[in-house]
Amino acid sequence: MTTGDVAVHVKDVSHEFGEPGDAFHVQALQKTTLDIRRGELLCLIGPSGCGKSTLLNMIGGLLLPSSGTVEVGHKPVRGPLPHDIAFVFQENALFPWCTVLENVKLGMVFQGVPKSEHDGRARKSLEAVGLKDFMGHYPAQLSGGMRQRAALARALSLETGILLMDEPFGALDEQTRMILGEDLSVLLSRTDKTIVFVTHSLGEAVFLADRVAVFSARPGYIKEIIEIDEPHPRKPGFVTTEKFAKLRNTLYGLLHEEIRKAVAQTAMTGPLT
Amino acid sequence: MSAVSRERRSKLASRAIQVGFLAALLALWYLGTTFWGISPLLLPNPVRVWAELKDVIATGEFLPDLKVTLGELVVAFAISSSSGITLGYLISRSPYLIRVFEPLVAGMYSVPIILFLPLYVLFFGLGPGSKIALGATISFFPIVLNTIAGFGYVEKIFVTAARSMGASDYQMFRYVLLPAAFPVILTGLRIGFTITLLAILGSETIASLAGLGHRIVHLAEAMETARMFAYIAFVVAIAATLNTITSSIERRAKRQ
Amino acid sequence: MSALRDIQRFLYRRPGVTRLLVVIALLLFWEAAARWWVDPMFLSPPSKVFSSLDSVFNTRGVPKALQITFYELAVAFVLSVVIGMVVGLAVGLSRFSHRSFMPIILLLYGTPQITILPLFILYFGIGPPSKIAFGVSHGIFPIIVTIVAGVQNIKPILMTAARSMGASRWQIFRWVIFPHMIPSFFAGMRLGMTGVLLGVLLAELYVSTAGIGYFTTLFTQNFDPTKLLGLISILAAMAIILNEIVRRAEVYFGRWRTD
Repeated sequence: MTTGDVAVHVKDVSHEFGEPGDAFHVQALQKTTLDIRRGELLCLIGPSGCGKSTLLNMIGGLLLPSSGTVEVGHKPVRGPLPHDIAFVFQENALFPWCTVLENVKLGMVFQGVPKSEHDGRARKSLEAVGLKDFMGHYPAQLSGGMRQRAALARALSLETGILLMDEPFGALDEQTRMILGEDLSVLLSRTDKTIVFVTHSLGEAVFLADRVAVFSARPGYIKEIIEIDEPHPRKPGFVTTEKFAKLRNTLYGLLHEEIRKAVAQTAMTGPLT
Repeated sequence: MSAVSRERRSKLASRAIQVGFLAALLALWYLGTTFWGISPLLLPNPVRVWAELKDVIATGEFLPDLKVTLGELVVAFAISSSSGITLGYLISRSPYLIRVFEPLVAGMYSVPIILFLPLYVLFFGLGPGSKIALGATISFFPIVLNTIAGFGYVEKIFVTAARSMGASDYQMFRYVLLPAAFPVILTGLRIGFTITLLAILGSETIASLAGLGHRIVHLAEAMETARMFAYIAFVVAIAATLNTITSSIERRAKRQ
Repeated sequence: MSALRDIQRFLYRRPGVTRLLVVIALLLFWEAAARWWVDPMFLSPPSKVFSSLDSVFNTRGVPKALQITFYELAVAFVLSVVIGMVVGLAVGLSRFSHRSFMPIILLLYGTPQITILPLFILYFGIGPPSKIAFGVSHGIFPIIVTIVAGVQNIKPILMTAARSMGASRWQIFRWVIFPHMIPSFFAGMRLGMTGVLLGVLLAELYVSTAGIGYFTTLFTQNFDPTKLLGLISILAAMAIILNEIVRRAEVYFGRWRTD
């Protein structure tokens, strides 16, 4: 893990939907300040509605903060920065009418990569995520786990410094998540990207991250940041160590009451939009 | 400005455009026929059309034609719905029969049934018979297809659960199949009804001695364009009313 | 009786064969009815209809009429597709124009156009233009509606993903919206073809001096069920072929669809 310069500087960023006084005014995120170190994997974890995805979208320029600024490499973020930031979404964001290979290449079309590089880069990233034999398949023909691998390949092929992942394994079953988590750790250890990873899963956060930012229930703020000092790539055996259990328990302690609060909020106000 | 009030203003603007569009059309119609010399034989003055319409309704001139058309509609629909539901149910009894007959029915439906009209006219003459025959033929198909879909594709889990609780064949039909199939069949009936009306109006237009469709043609040939417009408006209103009625019946019945 | 069993089992595995047998049975019923039960003035058996097909073609003016009708169908279809595509895209791509104009379009789509058929003849004459116009009037609406749906139904996440990768507005249209809309477009074309067939044939049957409508009237008035059935069969075959072409295109271009 590298100490040193800051890749993303989040300063007093907050977000609200609607205006105070509106019937459905919601303060999604309270004023938050955060420095994301270059090359680290930072996990954002918290109960539903705590604003972690909102913060991620603001870092990536998909959402404008209601207050404060986000700076990436000293540039303020006011919109998507496709050359600096790549996304992996939870929902299946692969274009269903393109094959896996075409999907990855299309990302480079959008970013503006010279056409001659498309094929090479696409194949390389697809091989890296283990989809070498599936490049000609359509997303509908692949399992959920494979689709997310393809989405990751597309993000990696854009060769950005920063990778933002919004619960990328959220829709998958536990066993697939386990495998993908292990493979992800191996893959990311080979790059020097800065990664921000939103998740619900305590185990996933401890397994993958260098630091974990724990959010409170809505209106969200960062309750605490836990450091996880363990070399990359994380071995599968790490999950069984006492160190892992202690860290996971710490997270549990911080999160449990927030989760209860969030569930009570939902029960009162109905499903979150 | 918050997103909410921006949304509201956009909705208002859309509404304004719609109203403005229709108002402009109406204005052009009026100006064109009153001041700009469009021939009344081609496009009658809206004021005259309105006067004719009031006259038609006041004198009840429309009644005999309306009776003919509605009569044909009711008979045709009765024939197609009863035979359609019966045949659809019989076919739905076994997946094999569905596999055999459904593509057949769907295939026959893809032929423009209007082509049968000259045949029916040959057979039944220009009277109500040919209209009823065509109306019944056209609406037969969607009713059968929807009935098959309704009875044939009841979720297996419901049938299994009922059977596990000891339901007899009759109980299965009455308490499981019929309620499950009902919404789909009802949709088929609504579609069938609408199509029957269109088919009857169409065949009255093409080859008939009576009925609303025929009346419109008669007025066209007599160059009584204003009165024809009035009847067109009248028929469109009747069709719209029948549509609304059948749609609301369908919706009400579906709200189990 | 094991032969019967074998036949049953054979048919059970091949519903297509059973279907064919059903069709043959219906044809036989038709044949019997026309020969023995119904006055030959009103109905003609399929055997006679089939064997007299050439006489239908030899009737003076019929081949030309078929040509004209086919021409009317083709022109009406192409016009419907072009106009439908333009209007559909214009309305679908902008939320504002969708909100403003879609209700008007749906209103027009729902009115019984058959009532204004005499108006079409009044305005466009009794020749091909009125048939084409009436065909277009029936064909554009399903195309518009399905294209609008195809453009609007796109999952927001796909737009977000494209945006996050730096796609320009043109790129989004070209690589995301347009390919997504293609299956809907072909579905619309299928419905549009049905509409065009209906419109053109209705207009032809109403009044026609040189199209097939003239001959259907002629054969009807002359109480010639043989030629009438023959002509209708030819038209039905033409309709089936046209429908099948569009349907196959729809299946081919919608291959990536999961719904």
